[in-house]
Amino acid sequence: MKRYLFTISCLFVFLFVLLISSIALATSPLPEHAQKEDAKLITVLNPLGQPPPVELIPMAPRLDTLEGKTVYLVDQGFGKPSGVLFLEHIQAWFAENMPSVTTIIKEKSGSYGQDDPELWQEIKNNGGDAVIVTYGH
Amino acid sequence: MSIHTEKFAEYLKYDVAREGQPLQRMVFVPHPLAGEPSTVLKQYVNGKDPTTGKPVMQEIIDALTKPLSVVETKTGISETKRVRLLEPDTEDNLRQLFNKNGWTDGLPIVLPTEDKVAEMLAGTNRSPDEVVGKMFWSYTVEQVAVNAVMAGAKPEYFPVILALAASETPPLSTSTSSMAGMAVVNGPIRKAIGMNYEVGALGPYNEANSTIGRAWGFIARNCGGYQPWPERYCGSVGNPLNFSNIVFAENEERSPWKPFHVRKGFKEDESVVSLFGTGWSKIDCMGAITYRPLHEEALILMKAFPPSTPKATFVMDPTAAWKTYREGFETPEELAEWLKENIKWTVKDYWATDYVRTFVMRDAQNGIEPYATWLRLPEDELIQPWLYGRGIETVVVGGETNAFCQVYDMPYVRSISIDQFMPNKTYKPAEPGKDDPFINPVPGAVPIKPSEPKPPSKPSEPEPPSDDDCST
Repeated sequence: MKRYLFTISCLFVFLFVLLISSIALATSPLPEHAQKEDAKLITVLNPLGQPPPVELIPMAPRLDTLEGKTVYLVDQGFGKPSGVLFLEHIQAWFAENMPSVTTIIKEKSGSYGQDDPELWQEIKNNGGDAVIVTYGH
Repeated sequence: MSIHTEKFAEYLKYDVAREGQPLQRMVFVPHPLAGEPSTVLKQYVNGKDPTTGKPVMQEIIDALTKPLSVVETKTGISETKRVRLLEPDTEDNLRQLFNKNGWTDGLPIVLPTEDKVAEMLAGTNRSPDEVVGKMFWSYTVEQVAVNAVMAGAKPEYFPVILALAASETPPLSTSTSSMAGMAVVNGPIRKAIGMNYEVGALGPYNEANSTIGRAWGFIARNCGGYQPWPERYCGSVGNPLNFSNIVFAENEERSPWKPFHVRKGFKEDESVVSLFGTGWSKIDCMGAITYRPLHEEALILMKAFPPSTPKATFVMDPTAAWKTYREGFETPEELAEWLKENIKWTVKDYWATDYVRTFVMRDAQNGIEPYATWLRLPEDELIQPWLYGRGIETVVVGGETNAFCQVYDMPYVRSISIDQFMPNKTYKPAEPGKDDPFINPVPGAVPIKPSEPKPPSKPSEPEPPSDDDCST
């Protein structure tokens, strides 16, 4: 009888452990990769167009020093007159701190988005060593 | 080297790379610069670059004198390769990906599976790999179809969507001032695909109008490269019109005038979409016009538009159009000419506007006429800036519940044939409950257009205003 009761008890314990294990397994989260494998995967097309190839433009050579050089300060035109006022303060800074630097303020013609090749040529012809362009907003 | 305000530091990383100088030497000052007093601007110069914490003037000197690195002198071609298919994933993850990458407007989309895109491509005669247009980026017919699917469009709308894509005219702008665009459809396809040109045509009351407009925005954003801030789009406030843009069909049947596309040189039985470039402003006419003729009311309203590069498009309800017609304007062009002659500004007011000072002043100072002459005139002299603008157009749409008109500062850009993108099928007007208006698929068949009923010689007068909400 004792042996029979022992066997029955063991069977109940075994079934209890099995039940708990099953519940734990069913409720535990799966790893992300396993979830993804289980879920339905779909393939979609890329909505993006094709950017054009970009030609890399090397930057203009730098100066060894600004001492004795002519620097053009060019305002692109948005937010006039603040852009020019801002450049006047840069001009004043050079006059006070680096007086050998000649600064010339220019306003690009046309609206702010337009190129001004005549101005760039004028700067070259007049011996400009460097250009600082401001884009005010 | 260049100086910018700090707000654009992230944007400029993309911009200089696009222009071929990914390491452009830039210095930043606080934002904004425009409109700040001299004392503040002096502090900017003597202060620090907010993006680096270094003195502005030292950075300027360094930018001009520090030797160039090898990368800064690099030449060659930089190319971006696109993959056709994205990595397979769950629907939820893909939706998150599209939103996170800024490929949607934030509203739910239809995911562009291969099956869905193939269905869309059946709506045209064009090859999927044909390059159909270019904005900042170029795009193929298939890439346009992908975005049409995302927008929820039906395959029968695809010829209109392809025509919009081929126009290379975006309804978005990179401007910081948050613009939107407009497109108007004429011809038999309006009825064939069930577009709305009556009550609420510009509003969210029609699947074709809404999804075609939404697709147009996706095409600009994803195919054309108008990616969200800080990559490309800079509209500070944003524009709610950009959700589906302004897309509608003209109410040709109830207009007193020839259809818009006919006035632009197309045949009446051609299907055409006309594009109106991006603008900022819309002005509404009251509609219940009793004190003065409509054209005089319009004259008053249009003085609110900036006179720098004047441009406008009237969107008129048929009732308002007939009223204008009976006031003596036998064509919209006559109305445009009358307005151009009669919108006058004093020299003082003209030169006092920000738009004019920004866009016109330097041309005037450089001797460009008529602006140079206007700069020399007495302040109280009257000038006619609209004679030198980008034109005034009129389209007719609406359901005649109000003699209403809207005026948009959007200029006419171009009209483009929709028929060239039609599938090799004949079609008939859509019927309620029938999804596909295309019938009899015959390779090489020429589309047959249904004839349009002629407009009435004179419509009935509008009902007198009532007290309910619909009267205004």
